[in-house]
Amino acid sequence: MVITGENDVAVQTNRSGGRVTVSRGLVTIGVATVALFVLSAALDPASVSGTSLSGMLPVAAVLAIAGLGQMLVVQQGGIDLSVAGGISLALIVVTHVPDGDSGRLVPAIGIALVFAVVAGLLNGVLIGLLGLNAIIATLGTNALLYGVNLEISGGRPRITTNLLADVAGGTTAGVPHAVVIALVTLGVVTLLVKKTVAGRRFEAIGSNRLAARTAGLRERRHHCLTYVWAQLLYCLAGILIAGITSQPTAYSGDRYLLPSIAVVVLGGTSLLGGRGFPLPTVVAAVFLQQLVQLVSVLGVSPAISPLVQAAALAVGVSLYTIRWTALVRRLTPDRAAPSGAPT
Amino acid sequence: MSLTRNLVTGAAITSLAVALAACGSTGSTSNGAEGPATRVDGAPEWCGTKKIELGLVDGYGGNSWRLVTTASGKAEAAKCPSVTGFKYADGQGDVQKSISDIKGLVSSGVDALVVFPDAGKAVLPALTASYKAGVVTVPYRVDPGGKAGVNYDKWIGDDFANDGVNWATWIKKNVPDGGNVLFLGGPAGNSQSIEEYEAMRKNLPDSYEFIGQKPFQPTNWDPALTQQLLTADIAKYPQIDVIVSDFGPTLVSALPLFAKSGRDIPALATTDGNSLSCFWEDSQKTSPFKMTTVTTGNDNVRLAVQYAVAKATGGKVPSADAFKGPVFEDSVSGEPNPVQCRKDLPGDTYLSAEMPGEEQAKLGD
Repeated sequence: MVITGENDVAVQTNRSGGRVTVSRGLVTIGVATVALFVLSAALDPASVSGTSLSGMLPVAAVLAIAGLGQMLVVQQGGIDLSVAGGISLALIVVTHVPDGDSGRLVPAIGIALVFAVVAGLLNGVLIGLLGLNAIIATLGTNALLYGVNLEISGGRPRITTNLLADVAGGTTAGVPHAVVIALVTLGVVTLLVKKTVAGRRFEAIGSNRLAARTAGLRERRHHCLTYVWAQLLYCLAGILIAGITSQPTAYSGDRYLLPSIAVVVLGGTSLLGGRGFPLPTVVAAVFLQQLVQLVSVLGVSPAISPLVQAAALAVGVSLYTIRWTALVRRLTPDRAAPSGAPT
Repeated sequence: MSLTRNLVTGAAITSLAVALAACGSTGSTSNGAEGPATRVDGAPEWCGTKKIELGLVDGYGGNSWRLVTTASGKAEAAKCPSVTGFKYADGQGDVQKSISDIKGLVSSGVDALVVFPDAGKAVLPALTASYKAGVVTVPYRVDPGGKAGVNYDKWIGDDFANDGVNWATWIKKNVPDGGNVLFLGGPAGNSQSIEEYEAMRKNLPDSYEFIGQKPFQPTNWDPALTQQLLTADIAKYPQIDVIVSDFGPTLVSALPLFAKSGRDIPALATTDGNSLSCFWEDSQKTSPFKMTTVTTGNDNVRLAVQYAVAKATGGKVPSADAFKGPVFEDSVSGEPNPVQCRKDLPGDTYLSAEMPGEEQAKLGD
């Protein structure tokens, strides 16, 4: 696997530092998030008030879950552009099939899960088995998912059932349920990837497919199933949006495409594959959503919001891929030409 | 593998459809029928005798409002037996697709085209090409720029300033001492929300202050974004006396935020929708608020269809050149209607529209 020298250092430190280690991604995004909240409070206290957080956190929770799905794919060196279609289809199924009747919610969720598995398998077969380029294949699947979406809904959203609104959109003791669901999801993903044999193999395959194959691991199966796990997480994200918004549109998932990739990168997972960082990914989702919320509260032009997200992505990529110490060394004349050099 | 085969079949069908659309006939050479007005017996006076095919292009068809509007357009066209064919295309919010939809329908040989030009001036060249190809071209609701008789036959607008005036009148009557007004509009820069804002500003004295972004808070008419922006607004402004929104149903998921923050729901001046009216009714016991709605204007398309069909079939062209949406509900005076909630119908029906709620409920199934 090709990663930068600094990442290598970080990995080595982690290995020698005992069982509990803090990844570089978590430190970076953690510090950035704390700094952002301090900055928000300083610029406009309203942006960190309870009301503001109650609007921001559920959306951040949805983004975190979609980001975890994207992270699994990125760990295998892939990228999943069908995240938008997957989210949109799930929310259309769980609002359109019950059509306001809470009794039909459970079957609807079942149908949404079946769609997610089928879409994931399609991606998995195309990319993992047939070796298609991930961008092209998932873009195609995305179009297909929207086709099914429009076939079911005619582009027309329905009102969320009361049950789903209570479960996914409600709060208990002031904590939005979506946040709890996101934290549970984080726990499950972390446990499966970090503490199970299959999960360890999964990461090893992402790091170096050739070595994994030589070691006799079923890398194709893992690679293929990644897309299924990812779609299941997008499906969960879609169901949550359906509960949070009373009448979600058929294209609601589109807003999560770029951010879902941005949070993975900001969390420190390399786009080239390998180790995944679930907790930093979730923190990055809070960071990104708070950034958007701050922009809204400050009341600056709506054009700024996508710019801010794009800038966050660019900063995230550069943080982890540019060898800053080498760059600084090169740009500092004293170090570039050591005093002891022969003349 | 059957999925792959389906994919291939789907792709084949799509390319065939595209090829067929591109190879169609080129349409008539003059815009509309010439000579004195004709009329089919028993049909409305705008229905002339020349047989035509009508096309309807939507820039973005992804919500129930559009679905009802499209069905209304189709229903209006069906009143005239001279309209022998009806074709519909949805741009799905993609400007490029909208442009190719217009060109595709023109080359497929429609005689008249009614267009919702969401992207405004961006689709003007396609409208002009359609007009020059001899198709009666009638954009409606969103102003595409350009001139009637040069770029298209006629633009049938909606008198949005009229809505602004109606809201301002109600606000002055029901929140008489002035206050903070929050206006939630559509996508940034859209002409509809700007016109409404200007009419309200002109008709409200300075004691009413518009808060938030000027001229309006851009929500893209998207419930999720509306909810997100409104949380920011509730956090930021301790005092909001009136909320104005030009797509009322998007507020339904956002309004409970006031109660959650321990505040009253402000007076609401907006457009109608069954989900909103039922929310108003449900809130009466716990957190009552005043509300007025103007009709959402699904029937704007009917006037545009009448105009296009009249021009193409040789019927009597309507004299009105803009749709004027009346006030629909007023929770305080009950005039012209008290708030109308129909629990037996889906939330996304628009009871102000000419098409009955029951028929709207069947759409999209």
